[in-house]
Amino acid sequence: MIEDAVRLIPADDSSWRLEAYLRRGGYEAARKAVTSMVPQDVIAEVRRAGLRGRGGAGFPAGLKWSFVPQGGTAPKYLCVNADEGEPGTFKDRAILVRNPHQLLEGLIIAAFGVGIGQAFIYVRGEYASIAGRLEEALAEACAKGFLGRGIFGSDFNLEVVVHFGAGAYICGEETALLESVEGRRGQPRLKPPFPAVVGLFRSPTVINNVETLSNIPSIIGRGADWFIARGLPKDGGTRIFGVSGAVRRPGLYELPVGTPLRAIIETHAGGPPDGLAIKAVVPGGLSAPVLRPDELDVPMDFDSLARAGSMLGSAGVIVIGDRTPILDVLEVMARFYAHESCGQCTPCRLGTSWIHKIVSRMAAGKGQRGDLDLILDLASGMRGRTLCPMGDAAAMPIHAIISKFRNELERTVVP
Amino acid sequence: MSDVKMLGLTIDGRTVHAAEGTNVLKAAELAGISIPHFCYHPAIEAEGNCRMCLVEIEGLPKLDLACSTIVREGMIVRTSTPAVLQARKDVLEFLLAEHPLDCPICDKAGECKLQEYYERHGLFPGRFVEAKEKKDKKVAIGKGLLLDRERCILCTRCVRFLRKVTGTGELGVFDRGVRAEIGIYDGAPVDNNYSGNLVDICPVGAITDTDFRFRTRAWFLKKGPTVCPLCSRGCAVVVESVTGYPLGKDERKVFRIRAGENPAVNGAWICDLGRAGRRDIDERRHMRVMNNAAPEEELSWQRALADVTARIRAVPGPARSARIAVVLNSRLTCEELALAKRLFDDRLGLNKIFFADPKPGAADGFLLTEERMPNARGVFQSGFLPILPDLDTLAAAEVVLVFGSHLLEYFSEEAISRALAGTPSKFLFSAHAGPLDRSAEIVFPVAVPAEKSGTYINIDGLRQSFGRAVEPSPGVVPELDIFMSLANGLGLNRGEPDAC
Repeated sequence: MIEDAVRLIPADDSSWRLEAYLRRGGYEAARKAVTSMVPQDVIAEVRRAGLRGRGGAGFPAGLKWSFVPQGGTAPKYLCVNADEGEPGTFKDRAILVRNPHQLLEGLIIAAFGVGIGQAFIYVRGEYASIAGRLEEALAEACAKGFLGRGIFGSDFNLEVVVHFGAGAYICGEETALLESVEGRRGQPRLKPPFPAVVGLFRSPTVINNVETLSNIPSIIGRGADWFIARGLPKDGGTRIFGVSGAVRRPGLYELPVGTPLRAIIETHAGGPPDGLAIKAVVPGGLSAPVLRPDELDVPMDFDSLARAGSMLGSAGVIVIGDRTPILDVLEVMARFYAHESCGQCTPCRLGTSWIHKIVSRMAAGKGQRGDLDLILDLASGMRGRTLCPMGDAAAMPIHAIISKFRNELERTVVP
Repeated sequence: MSDVKMLGLTIDGRTVHAAEGTNVLKAAELAGISIPHFCYHPAIEAEGNCRMCLVEIEGLPKLDLACSTIVREGMIVRTSTPAVLQARKDVLEFLLAEHPLDCPICDKAGECKLQEYYERHGLFPGRFVEAKEKKDKKVAIGKGLLLDRERCILCTRCVRFLRKVTGTGELGVFDRGVRAEIGIYDGAPVDNNYSGNLVDICPVGAITDTDFRFRTRAWFLKKGPTVCPLCSRGCAVVVESVTGYPLGKDERKVFRIRAGENPAVNGAWICDLGRAGRRDIDERRHMRVMNNAAPEEELSWQRALADVTARIRAVPGPARSARIAVVLNSRLTCEELALAKRLFDDRLGLNKIFFADPKPGAADGFLLTEERMPNARGVFQSGFLPILPDLDTLAAAEVVLVFGSHLLEYFSEEAISRALAGTPSKFLFSAHAGPLDRSAEIVFPVAVPAEKSGTYINIDGLRQSFGRAVEPSPGVVPELDIFMSLANGLGLNRGEPDAC
């Protein structure tokens, strides 16, 4: 069991207050970094810790920071991605509500390490109602001098602005997020250039997920070795697994990276309720290709899941019970991506909608022979061909559902 | 040029040398390899949304965009591997799935990229059996432009043109996914002097112009490049006309004027004023010589001009400079002006040589200039001083030759008519019918610039020669022929002594 002092989501509901966070040793890591470390050492320590991005792509956080050109007179920006939109994912919400100061502390350290004076926290519009604590925490931190000018008596300044999105999944994609912060329609930018070089307002920008930044204080405070020991060498620390669906105890479980999926479902979430068996598991948010019940003995880390043909993604585990028709799952999936495609590039705009039209027809009992193969063709027409990762995010899980549950789907389509 | 670093790369096995900063798509064009594309336009920043130009680049795990990938030394590009061909097919299949396929009634048919690429890279049977999205097919977006949202492939060339080129930003993308559509913002239609370019750059039939819509088919049009005569910028334009069969009354010859490409002058754009110049070529044209004393009489321009020659001859040599007046204009070509100079100034020794030109208009800060004539610099270079005549001076002459009808911009019709009432010989050379016609004894139908070849010197001193863009209307005659004929008739062309 993880001791409360280092939990990303403390059990106590009053834990979000500054006093409570200070009692847990809060802001000591930031003080240490700002007053006693040089920025390069901060980056080096985070690189060594093997912290991989918790938003979904799993890109090593320290490496991402190191891509930002050092020095220069142009402003640099940090954007916190709190646009938690991946279906089955609800971990960042808990951090925002239970532990906003740890996010702010991680943000301070990251900004200090990269040499950033201005940060934006991009909160999805749907979280506006729960963002009050974040904003209060921000005010508390400013009042204490942890943010603002001359932080911890140094010459390091950092201003933080909370910015709300308006409810588009695509704004979780980092360049669409930048467009949205700049006040434009949220749609991805063509890359390269990458945000580390040309990002917000055409300046070098780091974009990190809420959970990613919330891990930084421990890495700096307790060291990279401590962090690695809690996970794996190339994928350090813990993950907050959000388990939903056909389990007895759905919820968030902070566990070491590499914990087997079966253990998360069976031991922690209590397994399926009586009378239900597991039919399928989505291991890392809706875009992660589905696993069959015989594929659940996989360690939950980025590399192991990639080898298993899926991805750890946002670590949102969706358990699908055997009474749920797989066509329903496919329909929800197809509807979601068709609804959320920003429409900018051809394969995603027209592929997601075409697939959704076919699946809706199938769900209405008008499936035809050949529908499934056509969907697979359309999915390959999207995969690797779109402007942003959403094409893959839509194509991969749809492809997996059809290949792994083809028999059931064919029975549905052609009775 | 010597500062530009050239990079060597291989495209489909051919060695190509392209300047640093060139994209793969352009580099391939240099090698004669065309890579299909919808959203990329050389004059607007690449956005990479259509995904049609995906190619294989050695060392990259996925296909990459030819439009946004910049060439590197030693790069190896393949544009016709099975993966690339499949990707093109897939993009076409996606686009055509929701496309209305109304080519038979679409104005773009024959010059539509979607049609062209389907022929070249598609040719698959349709697999889309679902209900298509219903969208608005006749959205008035301003300035006579209509948007068909079902045909639109969302390449956003129009949106980007208005943001990056005119900076007016009237169009945006609204909604998302398959419901995404182009539109104007509430109550703010497209309203700038370059709106017609949206039709030119739309790769499909989504944006059409009510002035062209449903009038003809693209494949009937003959395209003639020329220089726009409507201001001193001298933009490259393409005049598109029909030829080959006689026109009925009020039937169009010229169906549209589109932007030509000239990096040194107008890039790929022209203003709406220049585009509307179509009417200048087709409408209110004089088609025959008209003798106001006998309007019904058929009169050839050669015979009529012989009369003009005789009247000039009748003025004794020493009296000519006071008794003959000529009004020219700055729409004449350098060649015509040079001849006019020799004829009227050097040989006839006239000192009543005037110019009447369109009044200046407001420049628009982009291409359109204040000067609304194409060859003011040519006038100076020919040795003329463009002085506006006063009516008393004209009234004092016995023979008056007026080229063009711009006197009307400075004097009322009544004033001109009164001034010339007692003038025994007054001739008008004009392309268009107008109030001045009544004041003349004989009206000669002259060619408009698109019907001529010649040279203009633009506002920046750039000398641009152009050929005839459209067949002249029957009966019209270029001023050059008139000047030559006068010179012949007066025996001045061979440097002979004064025949009079």
